[in-house]
Amino acid sequence: MKALTGGRGVFVFIAAIAVLAAFPLLGLEGYRLRLLTLLFLWISLAGCWNFMSGYTGYIDFGPVAYFGAGAYAAAILMIRFDLPFLAGMVFSGVVCAFLSAMIGWATLRIRGAYFAIATFAAAEAMKQICLEGDRVAGFDFFGGSHGLTLPAPPASEFFYYLLLGFVVFVVGITYLLEKNKFGYGLKAIRESEQAAELSGVPTLALKIKAYVLSSSLIGCLGGIEAYWLTYIIPDDVFNVLRTIQMVIMTLLGGMGTVWGPVIGAGFLTLAGEFLGARFVYDYLTILGVVIVVVILFLPRGVMSLAKRKRG
Amino acid sequence: MILLECREITKRFGALEALRRFSFSLEKGEILGLIGPNGSGKTTLFNVLAGIHRPDEGKVIFRGQTISGLAPHLICRQGMAKASQTVRPFREMSVLENLLVPGMYGGKLGLKQARERAEDVLNLLGLEGLGKVPSGEISLSERRQLELGRVLMTGAELLLLDEIMAGLNPTEVEGALRLLERIRREGKTIVLVEHVMQAIMKISGRIVVLNHGEKIAEGKPEEVTQNPEVIQAYLGKPYA
Repeated sequence: MKALTGGRGVFVFIAAIAVLAAFPLLGLEGYRLRLLTLLFLWISLAGCWNFMSGYTGYIDFGPVAYFGAGAYAAAILMIRFDLPFLAGMVFSGVVCAFLSAMIGWATLRIRGAYFAIATFAAAEAMKQICLEGDRVAGFDFFGGSHGLTLPAPPASEFFYYLLLGFVVFVVGITYLLEKNKFGYGLKAIRESEQAAELSGVPTLALKIKAYVLSSSLIGCLGGIEAYWLTYIIPDDVFNVLRTIQMVIMTLLGGMGTVWGPVIGAGFLTLAGEFLGARFVYDYLTILGVVIVVVILFLPRGVMSLAKRKRG
Repeated sequence: MILLECREITKRFGALEALRRFSFSLEKGEILGLIGPNGSGKTTLFNVLAGIHRPDEGKVIFRGQTISGLAPHLICRQGMAKASQTVRPFREMSVLENLLVPGMYGGKLGLKQARERAEDVLNLLGLEGLGKVPSGEISLSERRQLELGRVLMTGAELLLLDEIMAGLNPTEVEGALRLLERIRREGKTIVLVEHVMQAIMKISGRIVVLNHGEKIAEGKPEEVTQNPEVIQAYLGKPYA
């Protein structure tokens, strides 16, 4: 782990980012550009999930609540209030910070499966509000099951760079967590919440902080995707499969590590694309087998290989 | 100067009264031993003091302020820290990092200062050289010392030590006693729960005996060991 969290990992990461930043200038476009953009989106999402759930040990099974809420917040601000995208994205973050502070305040007192169920329920509830809210209240706001259509987006490069920036930001935050007070507090909560509390760690406040930070960033990402794809419906942006994907990516790479979500999201997104193109009918089976094998032999993710080497 | 005062504390778990109208006070600089049979309420008392349990009646006054009802982390920051009987370190972290958490949060130190104090504490405990070892890989007696180190790192003035010598061999107990004496000389006040009788008699200036949640005796070690009720409830014949 030292080898990867230390200088070498950072160096590789910075070099990779520099190369990726140069790609569009060197003529990368079309499908490949969009694939990499999608990859950045997943790394960011898994990364956000990781620095909440991976570091505190509270398995959040409803991050998609904020992805969807963020998508709707940005869409509504842009359509109904005619404001620019940037305002929409910031608004997504603010709305999700507010929502997650309330939901976190209530749910972060319960642990384990109960917390997972509560957050899952919160996400489903939000989906229902977007689906049925209009009909129940008798106005035209969320667009019900027809969803919302956003204004035409700018060129693909815009999203490529925006999400690449997000990757740097999320990885950067996680990197700082490894060695700062906030991060030590979160890890202490994960390892033994009572010992943390007895050591002076304000556990509830710290968990809420991590949850709000993670959720508001996921909200911004939801806003970005809404603008990128220009069309959102509740069943898609609140789809539980997105949650599962964030969880699996982080588990594969290694929970509570800086590079785990990067590796996991990178692998799953790219493998999914390539296998999907080559083995159209069987690729999900192949992916499933790979995931099962990794979980069986490396239950703590690919990053545990690096850790083991050190010991 | 009175550092800590408990006034008529009662704590119930359902129908069970774990503590009944328990009162005592503690002078600054004292080492107070708390003894009693299993289930007599010693650990419950510690949990009430540290804020893990809220007393049903009565109050705890620390440095002139009522602290009963505060969250454990606030009590820790005010200067009262508890070392636990069931030791669970932050396993995924190194021994040094285990000490940084209480240093930064409880002791309100910056990362650099916390690191320096952690080195000092490791030296004091005789754990120097273990700083980088994952805390999941150290022995039981090292874990007990680390737990003591965790409490020291908070910079607390009053230490509540719940059976930190349990399971140690006689040599290790000797070492622990020397260490506690040294900590007291540095200006700390200590309340000790222990079943190792020789140890607690030797180091405590005063002893409080609990039985069924009530205080049945209080005084100097030699007085307490002569008390028939204490012999009956806890010590047994050899001490008579």
